[in-house]
Amino acid sequence: MRAFDYTRPGAVDAAIATHARANSAYLAGGTTLLDLAKINIMQPDQVVDINGLGLDRIERLKDGRVQVGALVTNTALARHELIETHYPVLSQALLSGASTQLRNKATTAGNVMQRVRCPYFRDGTSPCNKRDPGSGCAAIGGVNRETFAVLGTSDQCIAAHPSDMCVAMAAIGATVSVMGPNGPRDIPFDAFHLLPGTSPAREHALEPDELITHVTLDAPPGGARSGYLKLRDRASYQFALASCAAQLSVEGGVIRAPRIALGGVATKPWRATDAERMLDGKVPSRALFEQAASAAFNGATAYEHNAFKIPLGRHAIIAELGALTGLETMQEVS
Amino acid sequence: MSDQTLGAGPKRIDGRLKVTGQATYTADHQLDNKAHAYGVFSTISRGRITGLALEVARNMPGVIEIFHHGNFPALHHTPSSMAGGNKVEETRLPFEDERIYYDGQFVALVVAERFDQARAAAQAVTVRYEEETPRANLEQGLTAHGTREGKGNHSRGNAKQAFESGTHRMEATYTTPVETHNPMEMHATLAHWPNGRLQVFESSQGVVQQKGAMAKIFNLAPHKVEVISTFIGSGFGSKLWMWPHAVAAAAASREIGRPVELVVPRSQMFTTTGHRPETKQTLKLATDEQGRLVALSHHSISNTSCTDQYVETCGSVTKSLYSCDNVSVDHRTTQVNRGTPTSMRAPGAAPGLFALESAVDEMALAAGIDPLTFRLDQFADRDESQDLPFSSNHIRETAERAAERFGWHQRNPKIKSMREGREIIGYGMAACNWEALKRPCDAHVALRADGTVYASCATQDIGTGTYTIVAQTLVELTGVPFERIEVELGDTSYPKGPISGGSWTTATTLPAIAEATRHAIMELKTRAVRSGGPFDGVDVASLNFENGVLSHNGKQMSFAEVLSSMKLANAEGDAHTEGADTSKYSYRSFGTHFVEVRWDPLLANLRVARVVSAIDVGRVMNEKTARNQVEGAIVMGLGMAMFEHTEYDPRTARVVNNNYAEYLVPVHADQPEIDVILLDYPDTAFNEFGARGIGEIGITGLAAAVANAVYHATGIRVRDLPITKERLMAGA
Amino acid sequence: MTEHFDPGTQQDETASTSRRHFLKTVGASGVAAASVPLWGPAAQARAADDPPPRSDAPRQGLSRIRLNINGHLHTVDIAPQMVLLDVLRNESGLTGTKKGCDHGQCGACTVLVNGQAINSCLSLAISHQTDEITTIEGLEHNGELHPVQAAFWEHDAFQCGYCTSGQIMSAVALLNDKQMGESDAAVREAMSGNICRCGAYRNILAAVQDARQVMKGGA
Repeated sequence: MRAFDYTRPGAVDAAIATHARANSAYLAGGTTLLDLAKINIMQPDQVVDINGLGLDRIERLKDGRVQVGALVTNTALARHELIETHYPVLSQALLSGASTQLRNKATTAGNVMQRVRCPYFRDGTSPCNKRDPGSGCAAIGGVNRETFAVLGTSDQCIAAHPSDMCVAMAAIGATVSVMGPNGPRDIPFDAFHLLPGTSPAREHALEPDELITHVTLDAPPGGARSGYLKLRDRASYQFALASCAAQLSVEGGVIRAPRIALGGVATKPWRATDAERMLDGKVPSRALFEQAASAAFNGATAYEHNAFKIPLGRHAIIAELGALTGLETMQEVS
Repeated sequence: MSDQTLGAGPKRIDGRLKVTGQATYTADHQLDNKAHAYGVFSTISRGRITGLALEVARNMPGVIEIFHHGNFPALHHTPSSMAGGNKVEETRLPFEDERIYYDGQFVALVVAERFDQARAAAQAVTVRYEEETPRANLEQGLTAHGTREGKGNHSRGNAKQAFESGTHRMEATYTTPVETHNPMEMHATLAHWPNGRLQVFESSQGVVQQKGAMAKIFNLAPHKVEVISTFIGSGFGSKLWMWPHAVAAAAASREIGRPVELVVPRSQMFTTTGHRPETKQTLKLATDEQGRLVALSHHSISNTSCTDQYVETCGSVTKSLYSCDNVSVDHRTTQVNRGTPTSMRAPGAAPGLFALESAVDEMALAAGIDPLTFRLDQFADRDESQDLPFSSNHIRETAERAAERFGWHQRNPKIKSMREGREIIGYGMAACNWEALKRPCDAHVALRADGTVYASCATQDIGTGTYTIVAQTLVELTGVPFERIEVELGDTSYPKGPISGGSWTTATTLPAIAEATRHAIMELKTRAVRSGGPFDGVDVASLNFENGVLSHNGKQMSFAEVLSSMKLANAEGDAHTEGADTSKYSYRSFGTHFVEVRWDPLLANLRVARVVSAIDVGRVMNEKTARNQVEGAIVMGLGMAMFEHTEYDPRTARVVNNNYAEYLVPVHADQPEIDVILLDYPDTAFNEFGARGIGEIGITGLAAAVANAVYHATGIRVRDLPITKERLMAGA
Repeated sequence: MTEHFDPGTQQDETASTSRRHFLKTVGASGVAAASVPLWGPAAQARAADDPPPRSDAPRQGLSRIRLNINGHLHTVDIAPQMVLLDVLRNESGLTGTKKGCDHGQCGACTVLVNGQAINSCLSLAISHQTDEITTIEGLEHNGELHPVQAAFWEHDAFQCGYCTSGQIMSAVALLNDKQMGESDAAVREAMSGNICRCGAYRNILAAVQDARQVMKGGA
């Protein structure tokens, strides 16, 4: 961890101007920044502490959407009445992530900006196109079980996006509002995180010095129910091996407005749009869920140690859909 | 007083310090002018250093000095003898030359004013290497080097022939991965050289051994070295023997003339402070028509490093647990580019009993016999490997009582037959076993004029409760309550005590403490009957000492009054006790685990729901701490069974999951229901207190019990740890 | 700020004399020969003293800040990159908070900030100048153990003791948090950020649930 300067501006425009003056990093909860700074993966010369900006409110907008300030902690968000009531998927996802202590510090914007858990990215020396563009990807052909993706990978990078919160937001639908040197703009949540493709170092749609000010959650359709299922090795305090966030309603015996997103298996919070299309307007059944789950993993690429994530991810979808529709799901999944 | 004597369960004497944050671990000591060191660690696993760029680091704020193979002081090797009191596991010194033998080897050491400065400068050092192809795992080691002779082999009868002629046979290979101890406290050294003497605070399970090794390495008379480990954030074997960081810190302190603190970062606790090696074990068992074992062969290979030989004796228990005329046990090693392995909780037995007790289950099923019945019928009644009787063995009772408590007899033996909701329930069992050892020990005890009793011994309390049971021993022999007892451990200025390992601390230390106490009481009596003493002229033999009071013919005086009346500060006793006589008995501890697993096929989720274990470790000295030990070992066994696996990149031999987020150990939410039955039969042939030791046995056999339960639930026989979900998923 | 439990309801545990505590404390701590204060009262005194404002200037590159720790203001000279854990341990002499991984993966460094449990290893000290920080050293009240501390001792909810400060701080936070579930499963989940490699989880759970009753004025 290099020495850095520290400032704590009191206004958003001042924070952006300060950030622009040097090789800077915004400090929200610090759980990613300090972790990576200590191992020299992030090397800011200046840290701009944004905790004085007052971006810590949760508000319901007139159009029914819910606006979440960038600095709302994971704990506060998970427990907020609006979230518990209208977005159980988000509350559950947040509470399944990390630990109590980390959730007390980690923020909404910080979680959106969470970096990958690839050990080759973190070790500082292995070939890694994300850390050192053009150097290669040591994870391919290496040890690639827990924190590696089967969807959205490229021959440049296969690291899974580690967030639970973002998976729920992808399922809900959201807008990321940012402020930058050229003023504010909104980025659809699905467009915020970028696939690694040929440029894994570029992880998101933010322009230099831009700051996330809030995330606005789409209003859930009437009668929607939602939930999050996270599968892992130990019972808590582990990144997802596979997770499923789902939101849907059942009207007249058929599924309406299904939204499914996957975590732990993809290089970004992953909308399973093929599966959604397959479910829309259909009568819930085990066979339907299995078809949808299979569709979600069409085109998946397995690596040396993570092939099991394909069936595991299917399990997550089937089980969560079963839970949301009240369908019995007793049998083994093949 | 009865709640403080041996066998009761008093609260720990050091408990208040631990719950208030006042227990002092190595890095808690505040020495004036302390400097902080941070390592530069190799990022290749085999090759040599061809260049070090230090200028940037040297000019960073707070940097005092940077050590490396080009400027590190010349030191000496220790003979590395446990009997000689100077054992280390890795004999190569840090910075000895430019060679690299493993990932994470010390390449340089930055010393700076503050911790963050030392780390920043260490990260600014760049190293050039000439890299050679490393041997990254057991298979690569075997291909490159073949195997070397191990130790602890055994043969009786003709296992090969008997196997061939057996009626029912099973043959299988089991593997266990590298596991890393990961005690909560990172390895740490705080060294300084007051007046030309070396004083080292170390997170150590063996201060006496470290003192001896330090004296050899720095060419010092032994009395010029003091090693202190008052409290240790546990070790599980990784802190038994000194590792290179301690030498680096002590040398750096001498060179810069200031105290130096070096804490090994968590990531390097996977590389340079030992590990449980990878094992590959082949088991061949055969029975006759009635299901009696006629052949038992257990051959294992484990990895060692390229600098030293460490043998994981997987077959140590196989020699004597079951009655069998034809037994073959063999241990071999192969060299890989990893740091040197070391003992980890129940070395040999933990991986060994995973294989043996899985194989016995497979054998029982092949012979069509209930696994409990199979074992009850064949547990050995005497140690057939040594042809000696066991000093005390109640393994059948452990199996029967635990089976009863667990409900084994409600088990439907049919695979996948027991269900509750979506979950499939599996029942499994396994025996556990560990040797009982007792070593030589010295101790000092004083009855003091202020009415307190004091004891000291250079052993350690690593969390097992040694402070407390030593105090209980003093309560038992003097009648003085906890409130007036002081115990000092973990400092080589005290009489020589044992390492805290092998489950032998209790059996080794308490007899010496007791003997020293009796000597102190005799000293008190001898003084009291001398001319001018309060019992002037009384025959020593007729003077009674009970509850801290001397009495004779109706006259009573507390020892404090006796000493005060004679203006004596204390009456002292020193003692030396010898190791156990191993010529007449085989000393072992026994037990049985029963495990209930639940497999949810929809969620592909496996969990251990319930563990019932009955343990026969001789007399239980403290009910609280003993139960805690067994429960903790079960939790660690659960980790071994389901999660733990240090992963090495097959191309580079570098550790991949070198942190607490990806090297998974059980957390609170993984805790199963645990029910431990402690048999409490004193083994008085072993020592006067009848205690054998309890730290390791709980982990042995646990992984096999889980694997056996998993087989019952799923029909899948997992022979490779850990039992991850992908091994159980259809289509994965 | 953390609510302090009223020690009046805990007569048995707290009746012990200071003499008794002194003997136990010194007895087990050992290292009498070392020249540094090693046990409770001295370390507490260090923590409790509000040092007079310093007249010297902080050294180059350092900022002088004041931290409210356990109800006392500590003046420390720090660099911006120094994390709260290192400042507590190395600058404020409060070594009860432990470093187990330095990356928010083990929970040994847990302290309370404005009553909430956080990992002090992943928090810059400089960002806490307006916060109330509580460490393990701040739980005792007039020399009497907090009910969670007493319960940990009573239930043998530790072995080596290294994770204990963090476990206790997490337990205090969760017991003071009305929104946390009270079931065994809820406690286990909430405490899962505190690893105990000795595996004393069963006893820790028992201690937490026992302390809950005591704090409610029950047992």
